[in-house]
Amino acid sequence: MQIKILVIVCATLFFTGCATKKPMYDYDEYSETFYAMKRETSAETQTEWKSTLETIIIKSEEINIRVPPGVYANLGYLHLKANDGSKAISYFELEKSIYPEAIHFMDRLINRVKTQP
Amino acid sequence: MNKFKLIIISLLILTITGCANTFVTKEQEFPEMYNEKPRSLLIMPPINMSTAADAKDYYATTVEMPIAFQGYYTFPYELTSEILKQEGIYDSELVYDMPLNKFHEYFGADAVLFTKIVKWDTSYLVVASNLTVSIDAEIKSTKTSQTLWKYNGTVVIDLSGNNGSGGMAGLIANIINTAINTAAADYTKYARQANGRFIGTVPVGPYHPLYLKDQQIKIQQQPKQ
Repeated sequence: MQIKILVIVCATLFFTGCATKKPMYDYDEYSETFYAMKRETSAETQTEWKSTLETIIIKSEEINIRVPPGVYANLGYLHLKANDGSKAISYFELEKSIYPEAIHFMDRLINRVKTQP
Repeated sequence: MNKFKLIIISLLILTITGCANTFVTKEQEFPEMYNEKPRSLLIMPPINMSTAADAKDYYATTVEMPIAFQGYYTFPYELTSEILKQEGIYDSELVYDMPLNKFHEYFGADAVLFTKIVKWDTSYLVVASNLTVSIDAEIKSTKTSQTLWKYNGTVVIDLSGNNGSGGMAGLIANIINTAINTAAADYTKYARQANGRFIGTVPVGPYHPLYLKDQQIKIQQQPKQ
């Protein structure tokens, strides 16, 4: 009986030890949809690219890992192209909040949006 | 006895140094990466030396991910390449030999990554069809414009299906097979393999758990050009 318990304890320790190792990033279908968009630029491929970026954010939040670099910024840029300046700014701010390396560039973009008529 | 030992050791040294592959540590090969400690990399549009005109756009979609997994902040390529275009930089060739500090001023990038597509081709009309993807990659500082890291990744893929025997019928089958395989080939798959050949030699960046702990990792030395 004691041995059984010991085995169970060991097994539990072993498996939880493995389970805590999270991936560094979850890129979902990033390069596939990016490639599809470069191969054929259409409304459909662009929509797929955008929804992939959104999926990356959702999946990363689910397992509590950092959103990969540039994903928020790319989404912000898509909103900027769709003339939604305030949404664009909010994504650029998110990029800044997790990557201090991006602050300089994101501030430049935010200023650009704000000074546009 | 001692003499015998000495001979053995000498022979061993000769054998090892005689090998074509020389292994060095990352720190020995790329000391400037550890001195400058760049945190962010701006990926430049690839320089296309191959005969495939579309290789530039396709290859560009494979670069961000491995660099990010290596621990660096990578600027969003779709966005930065668009801005570079607006600023009149269509081709990275134009800025390769110029002072790179303007990329620090504009983007805040610590370093830029140049990639050169050396080969990206297929040979259709032969029985043994090969696909070669060869990439030269180079990280340059935006402070000094000096090269911090440089490496090449090459893959050669046999697309023929490799079922050699069978006389004339077999030969024709092979040719058809080759054509089908080549047409269906997603080139970016091989580009990712080529990237895989060089990416591990980059000293890892600040978002990698081994940041500033990988100096002693051995890599294969490449001939200096």
